[in-house]
Amino acid sequence: MQLKYHIVQLGCQMNISDGERVQKVLDELGFVYTENEAEAQLLGVIACSVRQKGIDKVYNKVAKWNKWKNRKSLITFVSGCVLPADRERFLKLFDMVFPMSELPEFPEMIRQYGIVTPAGIQSLDAGLKDIKLPQENTINPAEFKLVPTGVTGKFAQSSSVTESNKTIGEFWHIKPKYGSGFEAYIPIQNGCNKFCTFCAVPYTRGREVSRPSTEIINELKQLVSQGFKSITLLGQNVNSYGLDKKGEELSFAELLKEIGEFGKKSEQDFWVYFTSPHPRDMGDDVLEVIANYDCLAKQIHIPVQSGDDNVLVRMNRKHSVEKYRSIIRSIRRLLPEATIFTDIIVGFTGETEEEFENTRRVMEEFKYNMAYIAKYSPRPGAASSRWDDDIPKEIKSERYHALTGELMKHSLAYNKAMIGNTYKVLVRGEDRKEGFLSALTEGKIIVRFASKDKSLIGHFVEVKITSAVAFSAEGELVEVLSEINA
Amino acid sequence: MQSDNTHKLLGIRHLTDSTYVLEIERRGMDFEAGQHILLGDASSLDKREYSIYSGTEDENLEVLIKEIEEGLVSKQLKRLEQGRPVEIEGPVGFFSIEKQDIEAKKKFLFIASGTGIAPFHSMVKSIPDLDYTLLHGVRHAHEAYEMEAYERDRYILCTTADDDGDFKGRVTDYIKQHEFDSDTVCFFCGNFNMIKDAMALMEKKGIPPAQLHAEVYF
Repeated sequence: MQLKYHIVQLGCQMNISDGERVQKVLDELGFVYTENEAEAQLLGVIACSVRQKGIDKVYNKVAKWNKWKNRKSLITFVSGCVLPADRERFLKLFDMVFPMSELPEFPEMIRQYGIVTPAGIQSLDAGLKDIKLPQENTINPAEFKLVPTGVTGKFAQSSSVTESNKTIGEFWHIKPKYGSGFEAYIPIQNGCNKFCTFCAVPYTRGREVSRPSTEIINELKQLVSQGFKSITLLGQNVNSYGLDKKGEELSFAELLKEIGEFGKKSEQDFWVYFTSPHPRDMGDDVLEVIANYDCLAKQIHIPVQSGDDNVLVRMNRKHSVEKYRSIIRSIRRLLPEATIFTDIIVGFTGETEEEFENTRRVMEEFKYNMAYIAKYSPRPGAASSRWDDDIPKEIKSERYHALTGELMKHSLAYNKAMIGNTYKVLVRGEDRKEGFLSALTEGKIIVRFASKDKSLIGHFVEVKITSAVAFSAEGELVEVLSEINA
Repeated sequence: MQSDNTHKLLGIRHLTDSTYVLEIERRGMDFEAGQHILLGDASSLDKREYSIYSGTEDENLEVLIKEIEEGLVSKQLKRLEQGRPVEIEGPVGFFSIEKQDIEAKKKFLFIASGTGIAPFHSMVKSIPDLDYTLLHGVRHAHEAYEMEAYERDRYILCTTADDDGDFKGRVTDYIKQHEFDSDTVCFFCGNFNMIKDAMALMEKKGIPPAQLHAEVYF
């Protein structure tokens, strides 16, 4: 019998990256991943507290799983971004609750844990022997036994509000199970010191901690040697990298330079992205480094959140529209070919028509290639959740559509200008359009082209653009750039 | 055994019926004047951000807190007895004076409403020979929290509900009626509306936006 696990993955790229490490731990323990939660013996959630909806999903899942426990033996766990109050409730609902920084102890928790239904104990006791070992980090599934020891999750004795981040270094040592053979995330920083009033991350992930640069570069080198083509450096405030080490670690610009130098020497073809930077810590030094190295992708995701200074103050963003404007000017000057993406919240508490209009003007001025526009909803635990959510839903929708319209206009104009030109793109998979493959340019513009050759997936090819719509372009395959090992 | 972020409450100083200063064991915590911490009763899960009130060289850590009618943490902390543990995270924040501005002996204008005076108290205690003017907006003059900490001619108490301050009216009224050197570096701390209005006024008076720094109390 093979013990199977299923993970419900919620939230951002950071959570996806964390989930890759959780999967690696479970794989090493001998569990086998299944897409079908009904056939799993180990069920977990990587939670996200950005919106209440995400947390509601966790409660719904665990309620269902706990019902299943009446007829079969299951272990449940939750990790990820969890607020202190939810964590307390989860302790009563899940068998294991632990912060991601304590993932290295997960095998030990699994070994020690109890909590199974009487029916489960009987059925399992009938056929399985005592669990042994995880000294070698492996468990023979056939020897797996659920022992009702009554040991609960790691937070049982913990009163810490946020993840202490003291053991995050050990977490980073876990090699992830990458979800793709050509795209990967590398976490370089965890936590946040910025305290934007709409965001709960400072309360779920704790303070900013930078991962040692040697580890980051080693992981990147390994990925490149394995043929990965698109690597994204991750952090809640990725460009605050190194600041917590007060001069004893590379700055973000220096880290990029190291990566750039490696890229140059390696003569490998790959693109390195990063997300998400905070405007406060975005300097020309970062952009100058990107300009100097081919492997550093010319695509900048720089969240603006609002185009109005008053709203930015209420959001506690620590930057003005003018400061943000100066960053955009620098991007246009130093990286003229770069695409620019952003995040925007509409309908933030107290946002007046005039304040929204300033955001719309900013959209018009900065001509983003992509904007992730969110209608404001209070995020439990964040400072703004204590304020009235006073902008009616309909107004939020109107503003959302107004900004989307603005975005589409600029995105379409940019994509149309691509027509007739040839671009190097990374093929990512089959397109929804029958007989087409989907790819991304260096600037992350979606490009589809006619081909049924799935061996191109994960490789660079050149595509000549023939037509364009607002958020994508279409073209013809010109040349395959990487060597394909069929 | 104390955990890393647990500190002992050493005392409480009541300044008004609702406003108090918590004196907390510092345990070697290093900070810059103007930064804040996350603070709460160690037996509770709830924490709030509070600016550090004490100076960087002081033996203990202090925070200035106003009890909020519908609040949670400010009430919990007010009830805490001496010797009880509190949990602290931080320091964090960027509301600090740049070293080069101090070295250049620039003029500073600090504008606070209510307990928004806390980071300025820390700055004045921490940085010797600071050339500052502190505008403090409150309703009543008795809310001039520990004003003896400031040089008398540098502290201007603006009161809206009585005539016992230095100026009758809001800090924004004071700004409207006075002129400031264009190289003045301005720091604003307190409620959002005050900050929004005061910043707009200072900009109109020719202070470049790069010289305006705000910390909003929520």
